Amino acid sequence: MKRWLDNPTLRRAVALVFLLALWETASRLDWINPFYASSPSAVAKVLYSLFADGQIWPHLEATFSAAVIGLVAGLALGVVLGFVAALTPLLAQLIEPVMILLNAIPRVILAPLFVIWLGIDLASKVALALILVAVLIFFAVYSGIKEVDQRLVERVRTLGGGKRVLIREVYVPSVTAWIMGSLKVAVGFAFTGACVGEFVASSRGLGYLLQFAQSTYNAALTMALIVLIMGFVVVLFGLSEWLERRLLPWRYA
Amino acid sequence: MLRVRNLGVGFGAEPVLENIDLDIKAGEFASLIGPSGSGKTSILRAVTHLLEPLTGTTEVDVPSRDVGFLFQDDALLPWRTARQNVALGLRIRGSEIDDAEEQAQQWLARLGLERFGDRYPRQLSGGQRKRVAIAQVLALEPKLLLMDEPFASLDAIVRTRITQELLDWVEHEHLTVLLVTHDLEEAISVSDVVYVLSQGPRARIRARHEVPIARPRNVLETRRDPRFGPLLKRLWDELSAESSLAA
Repeated sequence: MKRWLDNPTLRRAVALVFLLALWETASRLDWINPFYASSPSAVAKVLYSLFADGQIWPHLEATFSAAVIGLVAGLALGVVLGFVAALTPLLAQLIEPVMILLNAIPRVILAPLFVIWLGIDLASKVALALILVAVLIFFAVYSGIKEVDQRLVERVRTLGGGKRVLIREVYVPSVTAWIMGSLKVAVGFAFTGACVGEFVASSRGLGYLLQFAQSTYNAALTMALIVLIMGFVVVLFGLSEWLERRLLPWRYA
Repeated sequence: MLRVRNLGVGFGAEPVLENIDLDIKAGEFASLIGPSGSGKTSILRAVTHLLEPLTGTTEVDVPSRDVGFLFQDDALLPWRTARQNVALGLRIRGSEIDDAEEQAQQWLARLGLERFGDRYPRQLSGGQRKRVAIAQVLALEPKLLLMDEPFASLDAIVRTRITQELLDWVEHEHLTVLLVTHDLEEAISVSDVVYVLSQGPRARIRARHEVPIARPRNVLETRRDPRFGPLLKRLWDELSAESSLAA
């Protein structure tokens, strides 16, 4: 009788629908104040109108560009710095303390500085997303190389492999696995950077809209925007997972 | 084929090994047995330059590319298939990728793994991974084969079978072998010469025994040879004397 509930995806969907129904009911029966808590139907209506009149697009484009450019650039920078630091001890002494410091502080506090340096347009948001991602990826790569399985290094050496073979056969695949492990967190960080950058100073973007919604006490709009960002992050998670399966077939075969 | 002179190895103040002399002739199958922690592995690592000795020298009559090293654990590259793992050494030596993989496939077939070439290490059993590791080393056609307790992790049946396969290959190719093991019966049943290492630190070669049983051998039958028992007892007594020194 309960067989259809055996599917975990279905079970989650049912739980979600139940919660939404409960929220809607609570809101309609005034158990909770709709002014603060809004309701699923109101949020859906706002979402629909945002897309229907097209006013959301420039904001989506702004946030999305900042997050994706910051993500890609942050990945690249983190990988390069990680490799450089792991392979040249002299530079590691310079890079590592900076990275440890950047890792220890809440990096979003750099947002005002980036606005001063780069203005209120896209560049300051990209910079914030980039720094959030780069530090994360740097440590994935740096420790990935330092903690590479020494037995594999010895095997390849005794088979006659030199530094080039070691990098290709051992270091790059092992670091790829580490980076993929951090990729989902990096996606979240990129959006954090973009949105927080927009909170601080901007004229466009989901962060800007959120700021606006908050200043007008518009709970429905605020929630609609949160749902929207969640949706995008879920899509990007799906993409990262797909990429992970393609790049690390040995883990999933 | 392999000469070790006055080898000393250590990591801290006190040497693990001291004054080690070994002389292994071409075509000889030698085993090195000793208590755990006596530094057996360090000798192989010194021979292959994975370890810098404190004193002494190791000398091999063939170029280093003709020395094969079969490690204790079967750490294959997890991101490469069985076939790619076997082909790796061949590619390092300059084979084209297609040639290397074709040869690798032949080696896998020889070890009974022809259907497993596309599997990743985590999809293989312990015994299968060990065979892949063996194929990886043998594919390079070494003249001198160094083995560090290669079968310790396998169950008795698989272990006997793989040992026999390897023994047949050694016979066929006239390989020179140095096997490190703590299994006395294994040492006697496969070797011409057995070296006994004393308890460390400052472990030395305590004795050298010739095994007077003709080759080629069958691992199981050798154990029933009338000369097997007495030799086993002597080695047993020597080793337990060493171990009780430590205890």
